[in-house]
Amino acid sequence: MEGALGPQGALPAQAALTSPLALVETVRQVRRLAAVSPEAARLGLHADQKATDAMALVPGLALADAEPAADAAALTALVDWCVRFSPAVAADAPDGLFLDISGVAHLWGGEAELVRDFRTRLARAGLPFRLAVADTPGAAWALAHYGRDGTIAPPGGQAELLRPLPPAALRLSSEAAAQIERLGFRRLEQLMAIPRAPLGRRFGAATLDRLDQALGRSAEALAFRRPPTPWVARLAFVEPISAPEDMARVTADVAAKLCARLEAEGRGARRFEVAFHRVDGKALPLGIGLSLAGRDAARITRLFQPKLETVDPGFGIESVTLCAYGVEAVGGRQARIDDAGLAAAVEDGLAPLVDRLANRLGPERVWRAVPVESHVPELSAGRAAPLAADPAPAAPWNREAPRPVRLFRRPEPLEKVLALTPDDPPRQFQWRGRTHQVRRAEGPERIGEEWWKAPIEDVAVGHVRDYYRVEDEAGARFWLFRAGLYGDPEVPPKWWLHGLFG
Amino acid sequence: MSDFRGRGLSALRAKIAALEADGRADAGVQPFGAPELDQRLPGGGLPLGRWHEVVGTGLEVETSAAPAAFAALAAAPLARRGEAVWVMRRDDLWAPGLAGLGFPPERLIQVLARDEAEALSVMEDALATVGVAAVFGEVEAVDLTAGRRLQLACEKRGATGFVLRRRPFGGTARAEAAGSVAATRWRVASAPSEPAAGELGLGAPRWRVELERCRGGRPGAWILEASEAYSWEAGDVAHPLRLVADLGDRELAPAQPATRRAA
Repeated sequence: MEGALGPQGALPAQAALTSPLALVETVRQVRRLAAVSPEAARLGLHADQKATDAMALVPGLALADAEPAADAAALTALVDWCVRFSPAVAADAPDGLFLDISGVAHLWGGEAELVRDFRTRLARAGLPFRLAVADTPGAAWALAHYGRDGTIAPPGGQAELLRPLPPAALRLSSEAAAQIERLGFRRLEQLMAIPRAPLGRRFGAATLDRLDQALGRSAEALAFRRPPTPWVARLAFVEPISAPEDMARVTADVAAKLCARLEAEGRGARRFEVAFHRVDGKALPLGIGLSLAGRDAARITRLFQPKLETVDPGFGIESVTLCAYGVEAVGGRQARIDDAGLAAAVEDGLAPLVDRLANRLGPERVWRAVPVESHVPELSAGRAAPLAADPAPAAPWNREAPRPVRLFRRPEPLEKVLALTPDDPPRQFQWRGRTHQVRRAEGPERIGEEWWKAPIEDVAVGHVRDYYRVEDEAGARFWLFRAGLYGDPEVPPKWWLHGLFG
Repeated sequence: MSDFRGRGLSALRAKIAALEADGRADAGVQPFGAPELDQRLPGGGLPLGRWHEVVGTGLEVETSAAPAAFAALAAAPLARRGEAVWVMRRDDLWAPGLAGLGFPPERLIQVLARDEAEALSVMEDALATVGVAAVFGEVEAVDLTAGRRLQLACEKRGATGFVLRRRPFGGTARAEAAGSVAATRWRVASAPSEPAAGELGLGAPRWRVELERCRGGRPGAWILEASEAYSWEAGDVAHPLRLVADLGDRELAPAQPATRRAA
């Protein structure tokens, strides 16, 4: 079952807009009306009209600039708010949204009750809206935009309700819809009566697709704001809560509720998102990630704990939802009896530590180095999640090549480099204002560019680095390189320090 | 020292150690495998379940390459027993370099902290975690309170901490803390390597390692070498650090004349 909601349509009676109002946008240097209020519409104005014409027709017209970005933000906020009804909400820009209410209607005692609750809350927020419930997103959209407001199509009964609607109800482009109407098809039942092949040939595959989607003959993928997950727990409160300790308590309660379900099915999740739904209709989401899939409610609550401070309860929070993502099978483990002397399991120590650090510092600040098959030094060590599923790397570390312990992110330029012959290591160099006499040296180790990764025109013979390992008179060991080749008039060779061996 | 007096002294030392340990089991020691070094340390090796301070000299206060190499090698045997965590503020630690010296990078979790306080608290958190054997932290200074907290975290699970004193972004030094609760303090500097006779290039990396302070031990200075560095055998030896020379209180021998420089 899908519910579609289209906020355009008749404004409720309480909307206190007495003077006609229109929003304008500038299209190709012409100011045109983007939307008109019902009063303005009654006076004969319509969207897409030139602003000057409208002003001439209705001298008292109030104009304001359209703000598409703000509209989109408001729609996103509405989508987030709708998560209180179902986790699967998809925005239908610019002014609608789809709510997948399959399997959640019983929580309200049926679709009619759900729709009633939905209407009450939306009306309280002062939003004009139209909504409909049907088996498919296409049918729900058509009924919400062109049918009777609040229609609930019985399962399998959407075809009957769609029959009297105009072709534009199929979510076609305005040109395609106009073309269909021009040919005399004023109602969808006329389209439904035509055999499929001529219909597709005459009006294009898009029309056929939309018709199939509305009637449920082909599936439609909606881009949900959050990936849909069946792992949701929800707690609603009789009285709104706002005290920090209450929020910690309900987080623990909702986590326990979801984790009990996860445990019953032998599963764990890698990511949890809790959303606090405020009385004023805002939803405040918080997320945590786990390095190993888990379902320990106490641990999850502890990870949420420091983030709860950032939640502003406003006038109170009336419900809380917790969603689990990345759900996978997790083998059960017996609780430890007491094996303090035995090797500790990863789940006990390391995984909680990595989770704590990754959630506190950010996941990009905690990593384990993995070898990467690349000759370019700065690319040869990659970063992986500390507790990746496959601990055995594809290739082992090359322990034979002398490599420095500290590698500078950007090589530092060397000055006053003296080398006897072009291929010789330097005898003396200056780094950070200090001159070093080279006592021993090893090299060169020539490292060329990875020409197979670059476009062919960017590849040049001169893109090589000759690395030397040198030791100065005090014993300090440096990794320096000469970029470029002698005899290249365009790019003279230059010396750089890339790392320190210590 | 008469035999009787010596025995009395060792009994007294054991008593003091038991008092200091406060009833907790001793986490043991990690011997370097060189008697000249180990006999100066309490219990005959690097004390585990404590934290150690490693300091660089000169420019190394900012780059901290030699202290990092020494600390990684001193902790390499520990990394075989459990996980290691390296907390830093500047991410210039390079895993291929550690692998070449004989420290297993696959057992190392690297953490980039945003500031000094965070680095210390991450260290503390990691030290108190089951399954973590060694924790390295690059911090500028550890005051008495922070040091005491680190020590308590070490005692929880017997993990060993290594504090690399480093000012990662240069700048002026902070005032030195009056005291420290570290078990040992090492001052590490690179030392000239000695390639085998007839070989060109550089020898195995060497460090001049000075034990400046040691609770229950005696200070000293040595030249240590990374054995089997930059070979496939790196990391397969019992302890990757090998004693080359005992410097005692003597000055370091003068550097080799430049004429012996390999071509």
